[in-house]
Amino acid sequence: MNVYRHARLLRTIVLMIVTGALLLVWVLPLIWAFVVSLKSEREVLAYPPSVVFEPTWSNYVDALFGSFSIVDSLLTSTIVATATTVLTIALAVPAAYAFARLRLPAKRPLGFYTLATQMVPPVGLVIPYFLILNRLSWLDTYHGMVIVYLTFSLPFAIWLMVSYMEDIPWEMEEAAFLDRASRLQTLWHIVIPQVRGGIAVTVIFVFLNAWNEFLFAVQLGGNTVRPVTVAMYNFVSVEQTLWAKLSAAALVAMLPVVIIGIAAQRQIVKGLTVGAVKGGARK
Amino acid sequence: MSQSSDAPVSSSRRKGGGIHAGERRFAFALTMPGLLVLFLTTTFPLLYLIWSSFQTINLAMPFLDGFAGVDNYVQMWGDARFWHAIRLTGIYTTTSVVLQVVIGLGLALLVMQIPAGQWVFRIVAILPIVLAPVVVGLFWRTVMLSPNFGLVDYLIQALGFEQVNWLGAPTPALISVIIIHTWQWTPFAFLVLLASLASLPVDVYEAARIDRANAFQRFWHITLPLLRPAIVIVVIIRSMIALSAFAAIFAATGGGPGTASEILNLYAFKTSFIELNFGYGSALAVSLLVITMVVSGVLFYLRTARHPGTKT
Amino acid sequence: MKKDKHNNQRPGTGTVRRRTILKAPLAAAAAFAVPGLLIGKAQAAGKYMNLDSFRAANIDWRMAKGAKITVGVIPAGYFQNLEAVMSDFEALTGVQARLEMTPPGQIRQKAVLDLSSKTGTWASHAADPMYYMLYVANGWIDPLDNYLGDAKLTDDRWFQFEDIQPGHRGATSVDRRPYAVPFDGEATIQIYRKDVYDAKGVGPADTLDEYAANAKTVHDPANRLWGCALRGFRGAGQNMYIYPSLFRAYGGEWFDGKRVVVDSPEALAALEYYVSLLNSYAPSGVENWNWPDIADAFGQGTLGSYIDAHGSAAVVANPEKSKVVGKIGFARWPKGPSGKRVTSIWNWSFPINGALSKKDKHATWLFAQWAGSREVQIATSYDFPGAYKRTGANRGSLWKDPKFLDLMGKFGHNYVKAATESFAKDTDPDWRPRLPQWPAVGDTMATAIQSALVGQAKPKEALKEAQKKIDQILKV
Repeated sequence: MNVYRHARLLRTIVLMIVTGALLLVWVLPLIWAFVVSLKSEREVLAYPPSVVFEPTWSNYVDALFGSFSIVDSLLTSTIVATATTVLTIALAVPAAYAFARLRLPAKRPLGFYTLATQMVPPVGLVIPYFLILNRLSWLDTYHGMVIVYLTFSLPFAIWLMVSYMEDIPWEMEEAAFLDRASRLQTLWHIVIPQVRGGIAVTVIFVFLNAWNEFLFAVQLGGNTVRPVTVAMYNFVSVEQTLWAKLSAAALVAMLPVVIIGIAAQRQIVKGLTVGAVKGGARK
Repeated sequence: MSQSSDAPVSSSRRKGGGIHAGERRFAFALTMPGLLVLFLTTTFPLLYLIWSSFQTINLAMPFLDGFAGVDNYVQMWGDARFWHAIRLTGIYTTTSVVLQVVIGLGLALLVMQIPAGQWVFRIVAILPIVLAPVVVGLFWRTVMLSPNFGLVDYLIQALGFEQVNWLGAPTPALISVIIIHTWQWTPFAFLVLLASLASLPVDVYEAARIDRANAFQRFWHITLPLLRPAIVIVVIIRSMIALSAFAAIFAATGGGPGTASEILNLYAFKTSFIELNFGYGSALAVSLLVITMVVSGVLFYLRTARHPGTKT
Repeated sequence: MKKDKHNNQRPGTGTVRRRTILKAPLAAAAAFAVPGLLIGKAQAAGKYMNLDSFRAANIDWRMAKGAKITVGVIPAGYFQNLEAVMSDFEALTGVQARLEMTPPGQIRQKAVLDLSSKTGTWASHAADPMYYMLYVANGWIDPLDNYLGDAKLTDDRWFQFEDIQPGHRGATSVDRRPYAVPFDGEATIQIYRKDVYDAKGVGPADTLDEYAANAKTVHDPANRLWGCALRGFRGAGQNMYIYPSLFRAYGGEWFDGKRVVVDSPEALAALEYYVSLLNSYAPSGVENWNWPDIADAFGQGTLGSYIDAHGSAAVVANPEKSKVVGKIGFARWPKGPSGKRVTSIWNWSFPINGALSKKDKHATWLFAQWAGSREVQIATSYDFPGAYKRTGANRGSLWKDPKFLDLMGKFGHNYVKAATESFAKDTDPDWRPRLPQWPAVGDTMATAIQSALVGQAKPKEALKEAQKKIDQILKV
């Protein structure tokens, strides 16, 4: 019995080491980005790449508090991404429920239409959006930007949520109906709690897409709405690229999303069970 | 999409048109706000795009502007660079998505075996996705892949291999952008499949073990079929993203060297915004849209056709 | 949106004007409320420069008071310095001008989008001089002769437009009419490792053949020193920034009547020189290198020499970024077989968006004048309080100003002479083909050059392909 347990322990340890090593190799570029962000600009491209050097936090100080501080743009990105996410979820969850569970008139065409709107390449949309937003005087405004972001977040969110909604056992809604709950109550008290994992996943990816968006942010934004993806170019000019500061800025820009990811950890695991067999064991 | 109308319904639901009508109204009310927003924000741009593709709009030569009929499409059909772009797009998308699924699944299987501390692996795995694509492109271009200066170059030489001019030669350039895209997005497949694995029922495996099925047989005959819906969803989503990938490639190679990494999306951008030939660029964008719709449609059909009884 | 021929009066601007007119008496009242002493002080000295020297001009600087304009620029040291001193502009004119930093790969697109749709989002922008033919062909920007010739708008005794480098003024004019005020200009020059050259007993190259020979002499890849590098990155503003100098040095002519010719024997010779030079003596990866990458490599001590903008001296002579400070030498472009040395005439200049209201146009003209004025040029270069000081002064008089020369002299051996002589003698207005279709033509040539460099096509075929495509572009 002891031998068996030892063998299992050994196997687990080996597995953890191997997997850990693989993952480490996978995120090596990020680790290197972190290393670069601690170097002085001179050291960055030293070859062979130096692993021993005098680390400095000055790049982070510059990125956050210097003349090209990205703090304002972090705030802008947060506002835009949060607004987009909130609106998207508010609109997508009910719509997904209707698609997944209810008798919706013209369900197939509407469903296909929802999918199709997301397939238009962003390249083809820049000019029309520029013209429209200009007409409405919404260029370089928060509401203008959020509306545009909604167009690619909504279909994605609806689609994702439909899958999670379809996963719920029918019995729960049946029971609610027998208890004379209204459809709205069913949605709010029964269905949504069941798919909160799915909602968490959708929140993460919608937020992420809005946070990292670049093309529309540049062309449709300006001085007021300057997300962090644009602001990072402060360190990439025609004369030189300040790699250390750029890395510092990029890593800082990742933080908000990572924090949200960690916070939603448990919900995510529950929620990522897409299309799997029901009633399965959960880890 | 879904086959909820096939699902068993209680007799109370089947009662008369009144309840159904109420349900239809309710369903309608739920979807209207979202669909209205979508309709308002996407219809005009889409129509504008299609309309422009039938026009000649060239900012550099405004005297030529006017209705072009199908000229742009005819030109596209005979444009070697267009077909080249389609070929590249096909290679890029297929290779990257396949790699993402295979590597993601492998990693997920490995991590599944780890009893404790899985969350650490999940957090670490999500990081590449969070990094802005623009920065990913720039960073890989210089700090990682640049010959004589980059980290990858150094490691390769340290391991005794020959130096590769990753972004400077046509084939390595295509390989490089595929690597970059795969690197950033495999964690998505990994996370989705990991969670699916986590919710597989234990009893089926027990039965298999009793029947003396070995590990490989268990994987092939049980795990894989159960994972199929999840895998298909990952493939669909990743394909749609890969078809419209832009920021990272643009930053890393700009479509070069020459046109070695110029996928259709990039070609459309160059035509519209650098050559200022909006009409033709719109035609290219429309053709990309059509391709995306066809590919998604096919994949989607495969998804539902495989499991006629499942709601997914 | 109906507009008259001069693009004045958009609906809605009436409202704006009314609002700003109301603001004026309020602002005046507020100003009177401030203690007189403070007013006196503020009026004399801006934070960075003496405003009285501006008031010596016989124009009403406050004619567009209350206007708000946005100017698109790229994130670069020279614009960042300009941004730092912007408060003085507002103090002087009452115009709120904001600079919008846009990534360099996107600024042309955004400018074109704005101009072509006449949205007036950017009152002005840092423009690529090769785009002026396009702008003018479409009527998007205002010719400056009306502004320069109007005594109410310009006091030329003070402004001295002719003081601005003739090469740059030429680059921003179309058919001899000026369309923009050059703000920051550059010339391409030879930059080399003086210590390495001295050790090998060679000096900066006088001819292109000598340049290749020098590269061969110092080429030592085993010790991580490559002979030379030139821009390889494909782009109208990247590899097509260096190749034209070679093309002209070999005696090439871009135009044959109305036709653009790129497969002439001179073009081929220039391309072959470029390809063989880089393939023999440049580090691999150069096909993807733009100016910052070359500067990085040089700063790490891995290049014997390169040819690029004189402003890169600020980067490679910056101890924070470079390991070769104090070891750098500068010289003019080497001569080609035709005997010509041809440098670039690049500059960033400010045009006036034709879609603006009259008041905004005046405000923009004031801005362009202010930015191009001697005082601002000084305030952003040698008088600038920060670490980075501009080296691309637009005025010839500044290149004779001892304080400016003093600043320049610090970059390295012969820097001042190389730069000033390049500006004075080597600029060539037809260095690149000036036509509205430049964006497409430049991009086509860039692709051809890079294909030849990476071996995707032989130089002869690459140029033939390019010629075919260009003929197609111009015919269609």
